[in-house]
Amino acid sequence: MNGIQSIQPTDDELAQRLDAELEPGPTRELRLRIEPDRFPGAVRQLHETSARFVTMFVTATPDQTLTGVFALHGQLLLLRAPATPDTPLPDDRIGNWWPSVAWAERELHEREALPAARPHERLLTRPDADRLDRTVSGLDVFTIPYGPVRSGIFEAIQFQIETGGEDVPRLQTRPFFKHRAIEARFAGLRPDVAVHVAERVAGIASNAYASAFAHAVERALDVTPPARARSWRALYCELERMACHLDVIAKEAETTALYVGQARFQILKERVQRLRARLTGSRFGRGVIVPGGVRCDGMIDLDEIHDALDELERDLARDRRLFLGTASMTDRLIGGGHLPRELVERYGAVGPVARGSGLSTDARHERPYGDYDRLGIRVVVHREGDAMARINVRFGELSESLRISRQVVDHLRRRDGDLLVGLPPHGTGAACGWAEAPQGELLIWVELADGVVGRVHIASPSLRNWALFDQAFPKDVLTDFAFIEHSFGLTPAGADR
Amino acid sequence: MLEWILRGLHKRRITTRYPRDPEHPPAGFHGRVDVLRQTAAAPQLADVCPTGAITVDDHGELRLDRARCILCGECVRNAPDRFALRSTYETASRSRERLVVGNVGDDHIDHVRQTLGARAAGLRRSIHVRHIDCGSDGSEEWEIQALWNPYYDIQRLGFFLTNSPRHADVLLVTGPVTEPMREPLERTWQVMPEPKALVAVGTDACAGGLHPPDGITAGGVDQVLAVDVYVPGSPPAPIAIMHALLLAIGLLTPEEVAA
Repeated sequence: MNGIQSIQPTDDELAQRLDAELEPGPTRELRLRIEPDRFPGAVRQLHETSARFVTMFVTATPDQTLTGVFALHGQLLLLRAPATPDTPLPDDRIGNWWPSVAWAERELHEREALPAARPHERLLTRPDADRLDRTVSGLDVFTIPYGPVRSGIFEAIQFQIETGGEDVPRLQTRPFFKHRAIEARFAGLRPDVAVHVAERVAGIASNAYASAFAHAVERALDVTPPARARSWRALYCELERMACHLDVIAKEAETTALYVGQARFQILKERVQRLRARLTGSRFGRGVIVPGGVRCDGMIDLDEIHDALDELERDLARDRRLFLGTASMTDRLIGGGHLPRELVERYGAVGPVARGSGLSTDARHERPYGDYDRLGIRVVVHREGDAMARINVRFGELSESLRISRQVVDHLRRRDGDLLVGLPPHGTGAACGWAEAPQGELLIWVELADGVVGRVHIASPSLRNWALFDQAFPKDVLTDFAFIEHSFGLTPAGADR
Repeated sequence: MLEWILRGLHKRRITTRYPRDPEHPPAGFHGRVDVLRQTAAAPQLADVCPTGAITVDDHGELRLDRARCILCGECVRNAPDRFALRSTYETASRSRERLVVGNVGDDHIDHVRQTLGARAAGLRRSIHVRHIDCGSDGSEEWEIQALWNPYYDIQRLGFFLTNSPRHADVLLVTGPVTEPMREPLERTWQVMPEPKALVAVGTDACAGGLHPPDGITAGGVDQVLAVDVYVPGSPPAPIAIMHALLLAIGLLTPEEVAA
């Protein structure tokens, strides 16, 4: 342990190395103020020290500040440079040499009225369904614009696939068809009302978004939710993870026309959704998590939850054995959509996509929040990097979520006391909050002034992972598309916001 | 394979018999908000709603627009003497006006349900459904997908999913219609053959929900195309969507049912 710590620089050393000034901030959030012209250089230095890029945005309070967020040594590092009209941003595009920054940087240049903003010719954030830009030429090469109107019941996104029929030499993912400017909807609301907006950013991860938002507000105002509330939050978030993972597995089974398998996993998912409805009154667990704690106890008793979890585990074990023993299923997944570890690292991917390629990144483990430091997370990692590995990660996490849920139920039996602490009525502050959503690490930046929410920025796992999707067809053919897409398990609503 | 077949046969029947028999949501389910008392309301009551679904006129008369309601429960928490969450699935309506509480009385749910059951039987399994996402939060898609799972199995009523709008009878639209999706939506609707019906699924699609008509979104599907059935809810449960689909097929058959 000592050996590892000695390599890690202290906060002061880090600030000195980057030629930056330490700013006060909440725990696990190192804020460094830097001159705008030093910004790209400092990012390069962070890249060399193997920091993981998280997001980049402009804060509004106390002043307009360009903020880059990086994950490094179990904490967040916020690189902050003033972005006022008289201090133009440097020309150097970071995304040119660090792909994980590219989309966040383009979004920034297209959306913010920054002095040096220079959007690309083709806008990322204003997609045109009819505009194709082909780069692969050759006999029989054609372009398929797949989406934004998908086949089946899927969210809107477009993939421009250039192919000769089998190989996919080039794929372009085009997000932002669903951009609703939902970050602006938070402004002016009290935190306990704004959480309803957070729940509707990416509906299938409502609990993760609500808990990350609540986490940010609690950190900004230095409030700790009561233990009982932390337990309920963990239970809701793990149930949500199970529903999302079961959904992915059911869709993979559907793609192979393994219809009984599809039906079995849909049944398991529906049972999780119904359990959530019995607990909270909402099939997506909405309306319960709130900054400061939770609004109420679950509506059914703990024994009933315990029994439901037991039954789920028993059926899951059988269906999982059958699924993994069906060659027609696993043959399509093994070797499909291979992503080497270095590539995943360069793109700063998170969640099951990263963990399927040997990276043990998980916000519950890296920066434990809520009750996760007590619950002892086992991070499920597979090294193969293919679609099978990503599905295996999900199977592993299903078991882990069941284990955590059962542990939480036991905690709840012993924990009584408050569910909610009040927030300071005129609280002012700003902080990052986070959660490990089923799709990966989610980060939300929240600014509060006089008890009301101001600017909010969301770094969704879906947007960060989708940049990598373009690289996921090294040896795969067109008919593998659906398998690989489902193995990513992302949601456009979260990416487009 | 044999093992899968045995596994498939292993469980008792789990599929709902809706609409032949009623389907009851669990206790405390957030189905819709009911207004308990409508008169002598304070004008500030309108401010508790984050989507502007509540209005109070000059005479203190209170109105709740369910098409705008995201079921967050803020009104119930602030004025429990006036509002209550009700556990129900049958929330869809053929008319936008009927979703505004205060204009019409309660509907005769059981009668409507039985009529819908008869209507589905008369269709001889022939309705093709197509979905388009115009900026939902993603949860509506899950609830629509769920209709084809063994619990709901909407195929037993003769509803099929089609990938081509040219073969579709019913279009399910989710989301408040974002700017880049406006044209794809119009084109999808245009190529569908007559007769056809359009169902707005979810509060965002019904009236924008959290999203006003501001150029970024249209603030609801009916700002772009005429909507035949509205299903409010954030998101509406699978049975609520099934109910809406059954209402929609009234437009495709000669006989009309008031609902």
